[in-house]
Amino acid sequence: MGLITVRGLVKNYESNGITVRAIRGIDLAIGRGEFSAIAGPSGSGKTTLLNIIGGLDRPTEGRVSVSGTDLGTLSPRELSELRLRRIGFIFQAYNLIPVLTALENVEYVLLLQGVDREERTRRSMAILREVGLEAEAHRVPGKLSGGQQQRVAVGRAIVSEPDIILADEPTANLDQKTGAALLDLMHELNHRRKTTFIFSTHDSMVMERAERLIYLVDGSVDSDRTRGAAHFTRKKPAAAKKRK
Amino acid sequence: MANARIAIRLAWRNVWRNTRRTVLTLLTILVGSAMIILMNAFAKGGHDQMIEDAVASNTGHIQVHEKGYWENRTIDYALKPDGALLDSLGKDARVRGASMRIHADGLLSFGNTTAGAMIQGVDPEAEKSVSTLHSSVLPGGRYLSPDDRKSIVMGETLAKNLGARTGSVVALISQGFDGSIAAEKLTVAGIFRSGNPEYDMALVLMPLAQADETFTMVGYVHSITLRLASPSDTAAVKALIAQKTDPRGIEVMGWDELMPELVQFIVMDDVSCYIFDFILFMVVAFGILNTIQMSVFERTREFGVMLSIGTTPGQVVAMVLVESFFIALLGIALGCAAGWGLSYYFQVNPIDYSDYAKEMAVWGVTTVTYPADATALNLSMTALITLALAMMFSVFPARRASRLEPVQAIRQL
Ligand SMILES: Nc1ncnc2c1ncn2[C@@H]1O[C@H](COP(=O)(O)OP(=O)(O)OP(=O)(O)O)[C@@H](O)[C@H]1O
Ligand SMILES: [Mg+2]
Repeated sequence: MGLITVRGLVKNYESNGITVRAIRGIDLAIGRGEFSAIAGPSGSGKTTLLNIIGGLDRPTEGRVSVSGTDLGTLSPRELSELRLRRIGFIFQAYNLIPVLTALENVEYVLLLQGVDREERTRRSMAILREVGLEAEAHRVPGKLSGGQQQRVAVGRAIVSEPDIILADEPTANLDQKTGAALLDLMHELNHRRKTTFIFSTHDSMVMERAERLIYLVDGSVDSDRTRGAAHFTRKKPAAAKKRK
Repeated sequence: MANARIAIRLAWRNVWRNTRRTVLTLLTILVGSAMIILMNAFAKGGHDQMIEDAVASNTGHIQVHEKGYWENRTIDYALKPDGALLDSLGKDARVRGASMRIHADGLLSFGNTTAGAMIQGVDPEAEKSVSTLHSSVLPGGRYLSPDDRKSIVMGETLAKNLGARTGSVVALISQGFDGSIAAEKLTVAGIFRSGNPEYDMALVLMPLAQADETFTMVGYVHSITLRLASPSDTAAVKALIAQKTDPRGIEVMGWDELMPELVQFIVMDDVSCYIFDFILFMVVAFGILNTIQMSVFERTREFGVMLSIGTTPGQVVAMVLVESFFIALLGIALGCAAGWGLSYYFQVNPIDYSDYAKEMAVWGVTTVTYPADATALNLSMTALITLALAMMFSVFPARRASRLEPVQAIRQL
């Protein structure tokens, strides 16, 4: 049973009287705990697909359901609530609220959820430890490196213990090494917490680390391959090593 | 609860995020509201001073007449003073002084020259507590003394027109209360310069006892003029007198009824002041709108991310509104302090136009010092209106931020 089911998905954008067919009929099922990459050339519809799965955008045709709930039946308010509690987002860059510290950025989601102060701080600190940023808890994003900022974004995405984390090119602004470390962190969280990760990428290094690779071309699925765990060469993330 | 806390925390930090812009906005609000306060303080202080000057120079705060006197201004409308009423007014702490007056129009001649004059019979002592004419007698002459009989004090222009000087004997021709001819030879004891062109050109003071005799008033007077300790008691004292007198026979008038032109001038001046206030308020409001708009625009992506991760549009509106509330509140606090401080300075050191007294007198303006007076009403209204405008003008950018499409907002960089 798929956690996410996409059926007959079509998305057209109208811009300047021209119809852009961003997604031209996609059927997809993604199961709980998967670690999937959506790859494909620029303009192939990766971002569009992630946005629709996350309830940020509405399909032109077709249905998307998450945990059996058809997103098309939800009001904007309910979609907002869904994103707050069930889905975590990580964007390419500038994910964080600049005036809040790393800890506060992670806490922000819990604040929105109405979690009380003590639990909020405890859980957020635990998450920062998990992403290896305990020491940077009280720094604002401007004082963190790009990789550290993305780790905070990962922390903010997982702190509410969502079912799914959607990451749109999370490593695009990072160098190879930092990007690989971020991927390893995400993979480790995926293993330990059984959180479903879907990320889009251009990067072959990132594709290699995925357990499932969905390749889009011109808004359609060109190939969809699942690799055996044996093929996956897993590295310990640097932060995790330090902790032990 | 949690919502309020996020909104406040984020708003407060965002206020200081772009310090330069915030300082500029604060300055706009500060300068704008301080100017509004100062301008209104000058209007209030100036108007009060004009009223005070007009009241003090001759009119008094309240006049009691025989009904119909003020409309007709003839010698026939006279009243018999009520001793009990005068006594009780004399004991009233709100009343600084009361003076009975006889008014008559007449012709004064000196040599071959004749001029019209407004004769005002006054008790020299009682009049001192009501008007300031006694203090504007020019050197070389003197004010009336209690035992004077056939002496008068006249305005400077009148004296000049007649060619009379202190010590000159002038002839008065007029009509008595009983219709007889009133004629008298009177000695000029002093010449006054009140600054009020009307008084300087026509007013003549003579002792009440002499006026009673000259005009055969047989104890009747035309007005009882009261000077109060504070103009704000005018209505109350008026009501008190009205209650003790017969409304069918007596009219009790306040300074505003006695000087409608002054009231009209003040109203017109207030209107122009309000127009200027309005312009300043708009400058401040658009300053705030501009800042909030800019800061919302710069944060498009940030709001997109916030909305994507589950922040509701309502929460976004609250954040933006709280942010402009903070800026407005800070600016208003500073503006009120500056406005009050400036007003206080000009209250202690009024603007002095006495060098231009002559030019101003041509326009009928006799007030030469203009103090400022920042009232609590002025401060609180300025603060409230500024705050209300700030909030009203922030609603638009706040809603704009909350209605962003996250997908579009995040695409922007
Ligand atoms: N809001 C929009 N309005 C108009 N066209 C759009 C909009 N969003 C996406 N598109 C178009 O839809 C197509 C798919 O865009 P999308 O951003 O999903 O591609 P992508 O695979 O994420 O590309 P990239 O790798 O460059 O991020 C593109 O042709 C794009 O120009
Ligand atoms: Mg994309």
